[in-house]
Amino acid sequence: MHHSLRKPLLRLVLAGLLLTACISCGSSGTTTTESGMDKVNAGVISIVDTAPIHLGKAKGFFAKQKIDLTITPVQGGAASVSGLVSGQFQFAFANVTSLFTAKEQGLDIKVVANGVSSTGVPGKDFSAVLVKADSPIKTAADLAGKTVSVNQLRNIGDTTIRAAVRKAGGDPSQIKFVELPFPDAPAALQNGRVDAIWVVEPFVTQAISQGARPIAWNYAEAAPNLTVALYFTSSKTDPDLVRRFTAAMNESLTYAQQHPDEAREILKTYTKIDPELIAKITLPNWPTEVNRESLQQLADAALADGVLKTKIDVSELLP
Amino acid sequence: MVSRFWYGLAGLAVLLAVMEAVPRLGLVDPRFLPPASRILGELGALLATPELWAALGETMRGWGIGLAVAFTAAVAIGFVIGIVPGLRAATHSTIEFLRPIPSVALIPLATLLFGASLGSTLLLVIYASFWQVLIQVLYGVADLDTVAADTARAYRLGWWTRIRHLVWPTALPYVMTGLRLGATVAFILAITAELVIGSPGLGLEIQLAQSSGAVTTVYALVVLTGLIGIAVNLGVRLLERRVLAWHPSVRGEVPA
Amino acid sequence: MTEPQQAPRRPGAPLGVRLARALGLPVLLVLAWWAVSATARNFYAPTPDTVARAFAETWFGHRIADDVLPSLGRLLAGYALAAVLGIGLGVPVGLAPRLRAAAEPVLEFFRAIPPPVLVPLIMLLAGIDTAMKILVIVSGCLWPILLNTVEGVRALDEVLTDTCRMYGIGRLRHLIIRGASPQIMTGLRQALSVGIILMVISEMFASSSGLGFTIVLFQRGFQIPEMWSGILLLGLIGFTLSVLFRWVERRVLFWHWSHRA
Repeated sequence: MHHSLRKPLLRLVLAGLLLTACISCGSSGTTTTESGMDKVNAGVISIVDTAPIHLGKAKGFFAKQKIDLTITPVQGGAASVSGLVSGQFQFAFANVTSLFTAKEQGLDIKVVANGVSSTGVPGKDFSAVLVKADSPIKTAADLAGKTVSVNQLRNIGDTTIRAAVRKAGGDPSQIKFVELPFPDAPAALQNGRVDAIWVVEPFVTQAISQGARPIAWNYAEAAPNLTVALYFTSSKTDPDLVRRFTAAMNESLTYAQQHPDEAREILKTYTKIDPELIAKITLPNWPTEVNRESLQQLADAALADGVLKTKIDVSELLP
Repeated sequence: MVSRFWYGLAGLAVLLAVMEAVPRLGLVDPRFLPPASRILGELGALLATPELWAALGETMRGWGIGLAVAFTAAVAIGFVIGIVPGLRAATHSTIEFLRPIPSVALIPLATLLFGASLGSTLLLVIYASFWQVLIQVLYGVADLDTVAADTARAYRLGWWTRIRHLVWPTALPYVMTGLRLGATVAFILAITAELVIGSPGLGLEIQLAQSSGAVTTVYALVVLTGLIGIAVNLGVRLLERRVLAWHPSVRGEVPA
Repeated sequence: MTEPQQAPRRPGAPLGVRLARALGLPVLLVLAWWAVSATARNFYAPTPDTVARAFAETWFGHRIADDVLPSLGRLLAGYALAAVLGIGLGVPVGLAPRLRAAAEPVLEFFRAIPPPVLVPLIMLLAGIDTAMKILVIVSGCLWPILLNTVEGVRALDEVLTDTCRMYGIGRLRHLIIRGASPQIMTGLRQALSVGIILMVISEMFASSSGLGFTIVLFQRGFQIPEMWSGILLLGLIGFTLSVLFRWVERRVLFWHWSHRA
């Protein structure tokens, strides 16, 4: 038996054990105090809606509140919520329907600040349902029986579209929703794979430039001045940190609302949107107040549609 | 034979020619299938960027750590099950049930527990590679030559001596096969986890390129993953040959 | 997937003992799961009875027709297509040594590409509906079948080939297919695991129905017991398909020495 030939494998096994030991050395993002600043990891999706937090960080509003903010891009509302629950994030951004769903399942969610709201003006909003230029669909009511793409099923897209269809006098139960990520939607519409698409900016402007025609403005039509998404945390977060984060966030929201050009500029840093497009897109509203009335309407609509199973009292979520 | 190499090269040349001609002739829309030259050009450009190497490093990190953990655990557990009498029969049904569970079934769980981070990649890689290695180790330990086993018993060799001189050399070829299969599976799952869940690595780059509509980049990255897959396979085969240099005639390999 | 592990055969072990051996560890594991989840009360780790109840509520009902059967149907279609293509192409390639030498690097390259990576590519070419999903399954299953068929045909015993030619026995059915069938079965077995993986993955991308999609939907809605029940179902499907495959393999290869041993 040659001892020399056992060595390579022995080394392999030892290396394996070492590496095993090394992984356990990895630690997740925790709030450790460093030179008086709180390290905070926020899970935020990289879309137009979240310009304020990026702008606020760049302008130092968070540093002013002694928060060392790291923004981690996530893929969607569900990822933000699970990242928060697992402790990866201390704060996160998600649309209200994702929050309703999480609350319904008993997850520990507490809203801290407004995220983004609809402009409330049909025809000039950052979210729309579009069809091809030559499509026979003219209004939201015509969507009955047609195929509409949304980025995630049983989420804010289909809920608000059903509400808009109802308002226009159509039957929302006959709409066939399919799931398609926003970036793939304009091409799918042009190729005729779907009858209508729901997208948010910058894809609204992109689709229009390809010849698509908007027929419904679902955020604006679902409920007046709809609050679309919120920043939230868990009830375990330190109340003082929450207060400071909320203050910084509100300052960021107000600043973004009052300086739309700077908001457009910051988009170039965290998204891959074409700069020419950025200049043309419709920006959302960034008020600091959460419109409770609109949220309750949306929660009730979601219940009626079967997206939620129990009635939610939105004031339980809100600060 | 030398001519095999030239035939192989010719085959590759034909593939490149077809991939160049089909989009250029308009048989397939070049927006969806760019010509081979453009794909390879994009690949070259990507290889010059540090971001690609960072992503590659992330993929190999997930692959390496996951494979190491799975391998070590599978060898240890496999030996214990194979040597301790009665354990094999007791664990048989459990192993046969858990083994065919597709690791992609764990994707939602990984997303919830770890999000888009290395942890998700590791969960998938370790789960999938573990079974590949374990099965081979169990075969190896069971493949003991009865004459040698009897001889060991006749000479009253202690169990540690028996493991070192009897079980280990017999099992070694199987262990190496397990390593090779596990390495391939680990690579596939690492890329899959990054693609579907979004943990950092080449798979994530592919998903981002696809979302942004950068079609040529998608193809270039796909070609890259194929090349890395081949490299991984070759690398482990080379290691296998060195470790088993003394064992070519008795290469007991269970069909994978 | 590798060769099935044979449990050490002890002829004459009473049925009770054999049952105890088969069920012993699994029962112990389930009990341990129960104990841990009941005491830990982790949101992500429900107790077995919660999962069982979710399983019964979720999967017996319209979901079978809406999600499970279509998924399995697509798997079957893709797998069958890949088998026909793989064997159909593999036999001629395997028989022509020059063609084989030319094709092998190309085929090995395609096989080395992790199958899920082809999903975004195929989405570009084939859209998002059923055709895409079946194409994805074919794209992954084809290579193991093709390569193993080529290998099996290549390795045919020359003595057998000559004997057949001498006696005028039909080469294709009796020699080539039969002779290569152990290797072909290996390829088919590998392709089955790849197929299941691709069936699930193709439904996690831009899909609106199917097993993979439903499980992701539960995960996004934080319906954890339902999500676990989906994982369990996938495990059962994987297990059942592998058992079925082994049964077919035993019937097809009954004459082969490895099954006679």
